[in-house]
Amino acid sequence: MTVVRAHDLVKEFRRPKRFTGAFGGLRTLLTRQYTTTRAVDGVSFDIEAGELVGYLGPNGAGKSTTIKMLTGILVPTSGQVEVAGVVPWKERERNARHIGVVFGQRSQLWWDLPLRDSFRLIGKLYDVPREQYHPNLERFTELLDMADFLDTPVRQLSLGQRMRGDLAAAMLYNPRILYLDEPTIGLDVVAKERMRAFVAELNRDEGTTVILTTHDLDDVERLCSRIVLIDHGRVLYDGEVAALKARYAPYREVMVHLAHPDEATAVEVPHAERARAEDGKVWLRFDPETVQVADVIAAVLARHQVSDLAIIEPELEGVIHQIYAQRSVISARE
Amino acid sequence: MSRPTPKAVLEAYGAIARVNAGSALAYRADYVVGILGLLVQVFLLRMVWEAVYADRGSVDGVDLSTTIAYATLATVQYWLSNPWNFSVIPQRVREGKIAIDLSRPVSFLGQVVAGQVGTTAALAPFALVAVPFTVLVGGAQPPPSVGAGLAYVVSLGLAYVITILLSSLVGLSTFWTLEVGGFFMIYRMVSQFLAGALVPLWFMPDWLRTVAEVLPFQAATYTPLAVYLGRLAGPDLAAALIVQAGWIVLLWLVLRLVWSRALHRVVVQGG
Repeated sequence: MTVVRAHDLVKEFRRPKRFTGAFGGLRTLLTRQYTTTRAVDGVSFDIEAGELVGYLGPNGAGKSTTIKMLTGILVPTSGQVEVAGVVPWKERERNARHIGVVFGQRSQLWWDLPLRDSFRLIGKLYDVPREQYHPNLERFTELLDMADFLDTPVRQLSLGQRMRGDLAAAMLYNPRILYLDEPTIGLDVVAKERMRAFVAELNRDEGTTVILTTHDLDDVERLCSRIVLIDHGRVLYDGEVAALKARYAPYREVMVHLAHPDEATAVEVPHAERARAEDGKVWLRFDPETVQVADVIAAVLARHQVSDLAIIEPELEGVIHQIYAQRSVISARE
Repeated sequence: MSRPTPKAVLEAYGAIARVNAGSALAYRADYVVGILGLLVQVFLLRMVWEAVYADRGSVDGVDLSTTIAYATLATVQYWLSNPWNFSVIPQRVREGKIAIDLSRPVSFLGQVVAGQVGTTAALAPFALVAVPFTVLVGGAQPPPSVGAGLAYVVSLGLAYVITILLSSLVGLSTFWTLEVGGFFMIYRMVSQFLAGALVPLWFMPDWLRTVAEVLPFQAATYTPLAVYLGRLAGPDLAAALIVQAGWIVLLWLVLRLVWSRALHRVVVQGG
C-alpha cells in the first residue's frame, strides 16, 4: 500500500530583488522585482507502508523543502502530494496526527520544561490515551536509555540526550510515518548508533514507514534498503542501495598483504587486475559477475605466501560522489 | 483517524497556555520593572490632569476624579493586555520554530491565542499587586452601580478578545516582512492613542474621535472604561457591546483570511 505519494512536486521561493549601492536598502524595500528560486523542481516518488527510505542530496538540494511539503508546513507551488490519503497542506492538522517529525536542527521540546513534562504535553496535544501513553513512555525510556535525565529541563540536556528526547516525542502517539530530517547531525558514534537501533526497531516491530534525510551515509547503509537521491531539486536516482552500488561500483577489491613484499608487483590472477601495489600490498580488482571472491583468493594463495588479506566492499559515499560529479538523471533498473 | 473531541482540543490548548504562562514567569524581573514603569506612568498622568484641571471643576462636563480614574484604569488595562512582547508570531517565524508549530495537530491561530491567554494569566497576579498601588497613586472611583460593574466585566472580556485578535493580525505581517520591529513600534503608538489609552476619547476633537470610532482600537480599551464609569448605559451600553461583538466576528474573519494567505508564504528560517 502506498502511504506517501509525491507527483511532480515543485516549490518556488520568491524574494524581492536585492539592490546594493546608494539607497540599496530603500530600493529593496520598494521594488516590485522578484527573484525566484526553484528549491524543488518536479520531484515524484511513491513510498510503500513499512519502507525505510533514505532521501539524500547535497546541501541545498531541496531535501528539507520536500519534507516540509510532506508534513504540511509548506504549500507546494505545483504538483500533488498525498500522505496516508490526506493532502498535507490542505488538512494539515489531520495529517499531523499520523506523522512524527524530528528536525535535527531544532527541537520540538519545550526549552524550560523537564523532558517528562514535554512528553506529557505532547500526549495532551495528540490526545494519546493513558493505556497507550504509559507503556510507550516506559518502552522508549528503556530503549533510548533516558531514565537518568527525564526530570532535567531540556535546556540542560546534551545534544545526544535532547535528540533522544525528540525521537521519543515524535513516536509517543505511534504515528504511521516518521520523518527524520538529519537526526544524527552533530552526534557522537555511540549516540548515533543508539538512534539508528531505535529507528530500525520501530520500523521492524511496528511497521512504521520512515523517511530519512541525512548527510551521514553510515545512517543509510545501516538503515535503508532504498534511497532517493536528489540534486538541484530533481530526482537523480530512486531505487535500491545495492542496485546503485552494482551500477556505479560494479567492482570488488581484495587487498593482499604478501609475506615477501617484492612479489607485490608480480601477482597475476585470471579475471582480476592489479589496481594498486605498494608496501608489499596489492589491491586486486575484479567483477563479481565473472569471478568469485573465493576463486581470486585461492588463485593468490596457490602462488604466494600471504600474511594478511581483506575484501573491500565499495562505499556508498564514493558512489554518490561519482553521481553528483556527473549530475545526470539515472533510470533505476531494479 | 477520527477527529479529536472538543475536550481533547481544549486540554491541548490549556496545556499550551500553561507552558506560556510558565515561560512568562521565567522573566519575573521584566515584570517587576514593568510595574515600576506603570506606576511612574500613572503618577505622571495624574500630575498632568491635575494641571489641566487647575481650579476648574470640570472640563467638557467631565470632573477631575472621573478623568483620573479613566487614565489610571486605561493604563493598567493596556499594560495587562498588551505585554511588551505582544505577539509570539514574529519570534516563532524568525527562529524558524514555525516549522514545529505547523507540525502540531492543532490550529496555528489556536496555539497563538492559547499562548497569549497563558501570558496574560501569568501577568494577572502582578495586576493584583499593581491595581491597589495605582489606585493609591492615581486615584480611582468604583463603578456607579452593580449593573455597570457587571457590564464592565463583560465588556472587558470582549475587549480582551479584540486585543488578542488585533495583536495576532499584526503578528501575521511577519510572514510578509520578516523584520517587523519598527512597524510594531508604530502600531503600538497609534493603537494606544486611538484606543483612548492615553487621552480619553471624549477630549478628542470631533474629527479624531470619528476616526477612532470607526477603528477597532477603541472597542479594546475605551468601551469597557466608559462602561465602568457609567458613561455608557441603557441602549448606548447595549449598542457598545454589540459593536464589540461585531468587531470580534469581523476581526476573526479577517484573521482567518490573512492566515490562509500567510500559509502560502511560510518560509522556514535556518533550513
